Amino acid sequence: MRHIPEEELHAYLDQGLSRSQCVEIESHLAACPACQSERDSIAALRDRTTALLAKLAPPRGFPPAFETLQRREQVQASAHRRRVQIAAWAASLVVAVGLGWTANYLTMKPQSPVLHPVSSPSVSSVPSSPISNTSAAPPTALRQPRKSQREAGQRPPTAKAVSVAAVDSLPPAVPAPTLELTSVHIPRPDPELELDGMWRTLSWDGAQAEAGDQVPHIDGLPVVQVQLQTVEQGKQPLMVVAQQLSSGEVIRTIEGPMGDVSHLLAGHTTANPDSTPQSGAGVTRSDSTRLPQAPGRTDRTMAMQRGDRMLVITGALPSDSLLAMIRRLNAEMRSK
Amino acid sequence: MDELEQLYQTTYTAVVRFLYRKVWDAERAEDLAQEVFVRALAHRPEKPRAWVFAVAANLARDEARAAVRRKRHLTLLKADPVAQPTIEPAADTMVEHDERMAAVQEALSALTPRDREILLLWDAGMSYPEIAGQTGLALGAVGTTLARARRRLVEAHDRQHATKGGHAAHS
Repeated sequence: MRHIPEEELHAYLDQGLSRSQCVEIESHLAACPACQSERDSIAALRDRTTALLAKLAPPRGFPPAFETLQRREQVQASAHRRRVQIAAWAASLVVAVGLGWTANYLTMKPQSPVLHPVSSPSVSSVPSSPISNTSAAPPTALRQPRKSQREAGQRPPTAKAVSVAAVDSLPPAVPAPTLELTSVHIPRPDPELELDGMWRTLSWDGAQAEAGDQVPHIDGLPVVQVQLQTVEQGKQPLMVVAQQLSSGEVIRTIEGPMGDVSHLLAGHTTANPDSTPQSGAGVTRSDSTRLPQAPGRTDRTMAMQRGDRMLVITGALPSDSLLAMIRRLNAEMRSK
Repeated sequence: MDELEQLYQTTYTAVVRFLYRKVWDAERAEDLAQEVFVRALAHRPEKPRAWVFAVAANLARDEARAAVRRKRHLTLLKADPVAQPTIEPAADTMVEHDERMAAVQEALSALTPRDREILLLWDAGMSYPEIAGQTGLALGAVGTTLARARRRLVEAHDRQHATKGGHAAHS
């Protein structure tokens, strides 16, 4: 007659066996005094262990209400969502702005008129960037810099070719508070400058068909709307691309001639009750192209200038992430 | 009632106890237990009970590593060994309680980490399948491990009594 092994008796007493195993053990126990005695000694050992471990109990505290933990979780979750969202935005922005826009600028058709002479000392290092997966940079863009350098040699250089600045709700006449190397001048909009072109709303595909790789955007964010205005025949149009963050907030990327872009921004800021009288009245003929701003919300604007063109990203972005972004962008541009 | 809320009401004390036996700091054990449930709220695990203890075990492990680092740091900072201040006991009963507790703590530390973990999980109220699921042990091996762990704990505890001349009362 096989006796019940020790571990099986532990498992039996711990209710760790199946019903059929229990039935088997019980029928054996009923007929085996040796196993009965073994079971009793194991039961005693079990009780002893439990009693010993019971001495290792902390002083009894008061558990917080479950609602307290729920609130804590909500706070942590929203902080986490914000971090993830900012990180995703930051990563895509560095790629799109740092490389994509630069490359797009370089691939602009030679006949595109420029308002001011341009020098781009940093462009020659663009191809050395390790980032190669941006959709905004076609392979041809990487062959352009030499040509740009030649062109640059024929033109008087501007003070700074690359500049990045952060502006809080960009006022039309106030130069941007700058960071690090930057000195972007947001020019006062010329009241004489009327933007007569009609705004056209296009799908993403339509915009790409029309403007090719030069549609300004942030990689990885869904595009809500593309608006385009022909500024001058043969010249790269003024484009506004609205994209949605995971929070639902819409941010806009605007690219165009510097004067036109600042004009558009001026029109935007005049929507604020405290701002100066509207000076960008001619920005648009259609209300839908006025950059919308929710009441009580302060949009933030980030501007990047290269030659006579300007790239602006505007929307309800938290200021800390914006500043962090600019530091990163500056580092990015310096390393090129 | 929310399933997690129910679990919280029935298991919180067990989780604190489980953690306390690993970090030996009541306040810290409570903080970690609350962190465990906050994380459970965020993750909404399928098997919340097992999940809660698995996360508690992980947090305790991290805590132990951090404690080792702190200790190393303190050892470096401490140039001269200073006499430890002697703490005057508040009452004899307290001393006796502390001594008994220290004896069990020492006996527990004599077990292998695996045996100790399984014994503590069992004592926290986990079933054999839950213990097997969390530790990766075969279901059939849980009984074997528990049998060994219980035997060794009691033996180690009794050995201390024997070496101390049976000063403390038999528990």
